Amino acid sequence: MRFGFGKITLAAAVAAGFLASTNAPVAAQEYPHSTVTLVTHSSPGGGTDVFLREMVGFLGKAMGPTFIVENVKGGSGAKAMAKLASSPTDGSIFYGTTPTYINTSLLSKLDADYTSLEGVANVFMDPQTVFVRADSPFQSISDVVAASKANPDSVLFGVTTPGSLDRQVMEKFKKMTGVTSRVITHDGGGDLLISVLNGTVSAAIGELQELSPQIAAGEIRIITTYTAERLATLPDVPTAREQGIDMVVNKFRGIAGPRGVSDEIKAAWSTGIQKVLEDPDFKAWYSAQSLVPAFMPAAEYDQFLNDFAVDQKAFLIEYGIIK
Amino acid sequence: MEGFATAWSVLTTTPAAFAAVAGVAWGIVGGALPGISPSIAMALLLPFTYDMEPISAIVLLAATYVGAEYGGSIPAILIRTPGTNAAAATSIDGYEMHKQGRGGEALGISLVSGVTGGMIGLIFLVSFTEPLAKLALSFTFPAYFALGVLGLSVIASLSSGSVIKGLMAGVIGLMVATIGTDPLSGVGRFTFDNAELLGGVPFILVMVGVFAVSELMSQAGKPEWRKADDAQTRIKLPSFRNWRKLWKSQGIGSGIGIFEGVMPGAGGSIAAFMSYNEARRWSKEPELFGKGSPEGIAAPETANNAVACTALVPVLSFGIPGSNSTAILLGGLLIHGLHPGPLLFQQEPEFVYGLFGGLAVANVALFAIGMLMLTPAIWLVNRPKPYLMACILALVFSGIYSINHSMFDLYVVLASGLIGYLMRLFGFPFLPLVLGLVLGYLIEANYRRALELTGGDHRVFWESSISLGLLIAAAVFILASAVRDAQMARRKLRAATQAMEANAE
Repeated sequence: MRFGFGKITLAAAVAAGFLASTNAPVAAQEYPHSTVTLVTHSSPGGGTDVFLREMVGFLGKAMGPTFIVENVKGGSGAKAMAKLASSPTDGSIFYGTTPTYINTSLLSKLDADYTSLEGVANVFMDPQTVFVRADSPFQSISDVVAASKANPDSVLFGVTTPGSLDRQVMEKFKKMTGVTSRVITHDGGGDLLISVLNGTVSAAIGELQELSPQIAAGEIRIITTYTAERLATLPDVPTAREQGIDMVVNKFRGIAGPRGVSDEIKAAWSTGIQKVLEDPDFKAWYSAQSLVPAFMPAAEYDQFLNDFAVDQKAFLIEYGIIK
Repeated sequence: MEGFATAWSVLTTTPAAFAAVAGVAWGIVGGALPGISPSIAMALLLPFTYDMEPISAIVLLAATYVGAEYGGSIPAILIRTPGTNAAAATSIDGYEMHKQGRGGEALGISLVSGVTGGMIGLIFLVSFTEPLAKLALSFTFPAYFALGVLGLSVIASLSSGSVIKGLMAGVIGLMVATIGTDPLSGVGRFTFDNAELLGGVPFILVMVGVFAVSELMSQAGKPEWRKADDAQTRIKLPSFRNWRKLWKSQGIGSGIGIFEGVMPGAGGSIAAFMSYNEARRWSKEPELFGKGSPEGIAAPETANNAVACTALVPVLSFGIPGSNSTAILLGGLLIHGLHPGPLLFQQEPEFVYGLFGGLAVANVALFAIGMLMLTPAIWLVNRPKPYLMACILALVFSGIYSINHSMFDLYVVLASGLIGYLMRLFGFPFLPLVLGLVLGYLIEANYRRALELTGGDHRVFWESSISLGLLIAAAVFILASAVRDAQMARRKLRAATQAMEANAE
């Protein structure tokens, strides 16, 4: 059993390096299409949908063509992958990635799965955080570990669905620290939040975006982030790494295309994404959303996605979710 | 007060008010067509709401419910064929009045009573949903399990005389609910590696099939309904003096409607008949009932429109639907990623207050549109049935296909339609199937998670006071239904033996 979190950290570091040395060899070149479609399996208003729709305005400015977002729902991404796999590789159509599409590929047998797609560029990482109810005695994840070691039954961990990335994080956390408290799964982020609010579980993993109304209302607190560095929006919250738990988790949001997109197109995206990440208006939006910019160019991103899939598969097999 | 401001800003900045008016108009037409119940009228619209803004989509569905409860009284009064089940009580006195040449007056009473009932129901909805939702925050896994069991216990009271059939239908629903991803282990169950089934069988598809498609199939085998001979009927609103005479029956209708709307499983038809009976019991002129009594229209029509609003209380605060119509509304909420419960009020206040505002618009619009839509509704009811049914079937298929561009979805709808048709043929009730389907996952997941919390100790279900209370309520419900059924059976037996003895002499 191996996990690729170290590798993800490395990737993020490399990405930061890339950001620093903005080399733009094809910036002047015209993009070969006047309209580019970005497909998402998320419904209108969903996380990826909002991210793409927010980004396309800035992408158009940076890259030239008009970008449109198309929602291809159904089968947790299966429909969208099938559409991409049968689409031309000429740079006219792309897919907004999240871990979901890799999970769906692993959980079901599909004609077109994540291997039919190819990473083009990564844009953001959603920081994963540990949160508790406002009146909880826990101030950091070290407190949680201490309480759980003293009495494993006194602590219950909450995660979203059984096959989710946050369950994986929680199981890895237990393994690294040697705590044995039970992990309770839920149907989604909303249910998990209720379980934390009514005290059913003692600590849970969540994304800042989903939690912000309750944080603002003072009902929950973030006690630790699984990020490489402290978040600019939460400067007082320590990272897991600071507390001796060497784990950085990143839920990626990026762009993939049908396998076989030309190097010129990939280079154009590389430049385009780096440009939009520098755009001050876009920066204002994504900083408010606590999204961490994490650009990766095509070759690196494709490798990252494959590594992610290998880790995810190993996790699903170890916990008996797939054979 | 903040809520009023929010509702106003939502209504002025989104097409929600327009959706309310459109929903009422469609509801009146759908309700007026015999066979198209409020739930079918809503199910037909559902596929078209996928790409709308959430607030417009849900206001549209809720307004359809409001409109349909009035629309059902049009054919009930004019052709003695209730357009909806809840309008059956209206047809008793409504058609009598029509025969006496007072059909327009009857329609006017129905409309005024519908608007009154809706408004009173709405006030109740606005004042009680949020406190109840706050209560739902203290619901833990065992409490949700018990709530689901209470929801299912309704099956016992529904199908009087055929409890066995009710249970069978419920079990089918529960079985379908097991398809999809296992809530605790994450393993796929009966998904056959098909990505479409990872999230389970979408219960919207099953509902459209079971309600709408099977109704069309069985309508094809029924004779044409009667046609309204006098298509020129005009609504005559009651004068203030006459309206004042109806206050008592409208009060009875509102009270019963509010109560039955909040209770799971009761719904509009029970409320309508109960309030008809109570209005007769308390009337100064009980002898007029059955012979064209205005009170006999006012009471049930107030009740079923009050139900259309208060039935949203359990849906918005707990996510538990009490009837077919609200199950579809719940489906509409889930499509848009809106999870009912305490968080809905914190995270989506614009949605909640916008919905309340939209319902207020719908009830006001009902008054105006109710008068405008009468002639088109009668015209439509008078069209040949085969054409109408063919159009509705086309609407179902194009609507479902447009959601995901998926043939798989269409097959699910067709298969559910066939199952629904067979269920009708053999006299199985639908609601247990729907309840099993909607509540099955809730019950299973929360039962297993509760045991996960305690490491397998079942005491958790009676140590939590909420869970204990709900489980006792469910037990009382089932026992009371069993006692009632036994009494009815004994009465029947006695009647039969008396008849035999009489014959023997």
